[in-house]
Amino acid sequence: MSTATVSHSSRKVSGGAFLVEDLLPGEIFTPEDLSDEQKQMAEITADFADKHVLGNIQEIEAKNFDLSRKLMRDLGELGLLSVDVPEAYGGMELGHVTSAMLTDKIAVSGSFSVTFSAHVGIGMLPLIWYGSPEQKQKYLPKLASGEWIAAYALSEASAGSDAMNIHTRAALSPDGKHYVLNGEKMWISNAGMAGLFTIFAKVDGEKFTAFLVEAGTPGLTVGPEEHKLGIRGSSTCPLALVDCLVPVENVLGEIGKGHHIAFNVLDVGRYKLAASAVGGARTVLRDGIRYGRDRIAFGKPVTSFGLIQEKIADTAADVYAGEAAVYRTVGAIDAAMPEGEKSPQQIQRAIEEFAVECSILKFWGSEMLERAVDKMFQIFGGYGFVEEFPVERAYRDSRINKIFEGTNEINRLITTGWMVKRAMQGRLALLPAIKKVMDEVMAGPSLQAPPSGALGAERSLVRNAKKLGLFCSGAASQRFGTELSEQQEVVGMLADMLAEIMVSESALLRAEKSAEQMPMGVRLAKYFIANSFRRMVMLAEKLVAAVAEGDTLRTQMAIVRRLAKHEPVNTVALGREITATMVAAGRYTVEEVRG
Amino acid sequence: MRILAIIRQVLDAEESVYVDNRTVDLKGRKLVMDTMDEYGVEEALRIRERGAEAEIVVVGIGPARFEEALRSALSMGADRAIHVETDQEVDPIALSGVVAAIARKEEAQMIFCGGQQADWDSQALGAAVAEHLDWPALTWTRKLELKGTTLAGQRDAEDGVESFEVDLPAVVTTQQDLNEPRYPTLPNIMKAKRKEIRRETLESFGVALKVRSHGVEAQNRERLREVIDGRDAAAAASQLVAMLREKAGVMA
Repeated sequence: MSTATVSHSSRKVSGGAFLVEDLLPGEIFTPEDLSDEQKQMAEITADFADKHVLGNIQEIEAKNFDLSRKLMRDLGELGLLSVDVPEAYGGMELGHVTSAMLTDKIAVSGSFSVTFSAHVGIGMLPLIWYGSPEQKQKYLPKLASGEWIAAYALSEASAGSDAMNIHTRAALSPDGKHYVLNGEKMWISNAGMAGLFTIFAKVDGEKFTAFLVEAGTPGLTVGPEEHKLGIRGSSTCPLALVDCLVPVENVLGEIGKGHHIAFNVLDVGRYKLAASAVGGARTVLRDGIRYGRDRIAFGKPVTSFGLIQEKIADTAADVYAGEAAVYRTVGAIDAAMPEGEKSPQQIQRAIEEFAVECSILKFWGSEMLERAVDKMFQIFGGYGFVEEFPVERAYRDSRINKIFEGTNEINRLITTGWMVKRAMQGRLALLPAIKKVMDEVMAGPSLQAPPSGALGAERSLVRNAKKLGLFCSGAASQRFGTELSEQQEVVGMLADMLAEIMVSESALLRAEKSAEQMPMGVRLAKYFIANSFRRMVMLAEKLVAAVAEGDTLRTQMAIVRRLAKHEPVNTVALGREITATMVAAGRYTVEEVRG
Repeated sequence: MRILAIIRQVLDAEESVYVDNRTVDLKGRKLVMDTMDEYGVEEALRIRERGAEAEIVVVGIGPARFEEALRSALSMGADRAIHVETDQEVDPIALSGVVAAIARKEEAQMIFCGGQQADWDSQALGAAVAEHLDWPALTWTRKLELKGTTLAGQRDAEDGVESFEVDLPAVVTTQQDLNEPRYPTLPNIMKAKRKEIRRETLESFGVALKVRSHGVEAQNRERLREVIDGRDAAAAASQLVAMLREKAGVMA
């Protein structure tokens, strides 16, 4: 890895630790830690996205794939498709932070974002991680230049969330030179413009395996484009495999170990989805602010009205916290990655370690984007409903994010399930932490002054959010034991609590880390954490009501109330302050801007 | 051969201008290399790519923040940079003395600079540098080709295009019709990190400022936010004429 650009300011933490440990600000990576070179790369990518993606948006949305392919080649020429490619194959190998940052900055259009991410993420990573030297030599240069577009083909008509249930089969040909693939794939992003497919099939109907299949291989047919609600400028087609002959040397990784490839790539796909959700929210916020600033109602710009200001403040705080959570996670993944040449197993371990953060980012990020487009839509009023305005497209485009890369339901189950599993394996000190909280609440109230500093009250809120989360985990497992996983609604509430904790803590640490230089960050973090804690308390009440009754319920509610006790922040006043800066800047900013 | 490209850093065109206490408040705003100057950096690179042996040196005269713009030029492919640091607002004529001194010291044969400042609109720098050095000035160029030590090209004149040929050294000013500047590639961004930025002080040039700025104010052009419904073309046209006459006062 070219460590030159990537400063590892994040300490080696383990996945899920956010619930049981208190981190110091210096221990996480934040957007403020990006190097000058990374910031320059971000600028270029954002500029390219504005000029060439938004500048051609009608063509892109009309499925002019020649144009999309050209834009991808342009990105290839700039080196923007080589960020994850090892240096030995002409790439830059700049790490997960840089990679997420580019995904974030390119995300001004849902359609092109999907084309880009499906290529550099789920499209190229399986080959980069698991490919043989020959396979990499053969395909990586073509993919890194954008000459070929990559696609990842896992889903089938009856195997979406339950991906292990695929029916596509592969059998060795009698001469031993080919695998013969038969089956059908559905919802394959980039299929209509791809040169290389990573197709998952079961060898002899049982051994889950990945294959590299070139477009034009006899027996591989790309079906017609789906007519979609959103991301219309991206390609989504089914694939038909009828006696498709794939040379044996195109088996990717090991026979029967394809699920490692499938799932590891999905973890990266998940944090990348969150990175593009953050980029999308930042873009729609800019559009909303600029429209609102110019739109006059009752003789005043609509941004001067409180209910509009609240929407801008909510979204700005969401973007700030989202950035914090995404960059913190990718920083931790980079810090966990060994230096130099990495085996697929080492990469797998480093990423798997943060699977729970990736799942949280996925469902939280996609829902954050949905809130953002909905709120900004409201600023546009009736015009937002008309196609000429960008928010109409953003609204349609955001919806798919709650579905692909694992539905938000699946990711909520993964989140809670992963924490429980880690605790059972003794790899996460969850049970001692729960016990500590239980002991503490049983001991009665203690008078503890909140920590000092600009964010002292927030540090104490996040600490209490963790206690609420731990207490609720304890209450739920006490009630259901090993049957907890059957109680999906409860599992989902716990996942939501974990997300509030993870994202709030990220916002807190980010703001603390740059508190002196960036008072705007302090305001945004305060605003986010105050509202997050309110959601946290509601979740706790809902959960306790679902797991306890009678006296137990009353006791548990008393505990929830005690943990929830705090002096609330005036988020109305704070929100107006935040919005004033955003409106002055004409976009999302963490700087002090006057205007 | 050595080519100098003079650059400035200005407020990004997308950003709004906020004036407070008679100065433009740049805090928290996005700043970029002046695009007019960027055409010069790009053209210098193209001249080299077409076969000329040239070292390309970018020169910025301004506050510490100019370094970002110099880095951008280095990432595009310039070889090294000279940063004359000053927080003072230097008028183009005083500036031209500094540029001329650097050109002499560096033994430059060609100097590129933007045809017009994106922020204060001055077009004086190029011509003033040429005057200092007693070199020819080719302003507002739209096409350039170097043949040996002769520069051929075209420049925009008042109502047309003038073709020219000039023996180097020369000062060339640039504009949007000349080229489309490239984006720095990721590998070049990494390389630029190791390129030299030489820092000098304005004082060492002994230049006296000729203009003292007493402050600025912004002209607020308020939008009327009137929308003409274009479904009935004739009605729209007469409505437009009425508005130009009555509201804008630009028609009798």
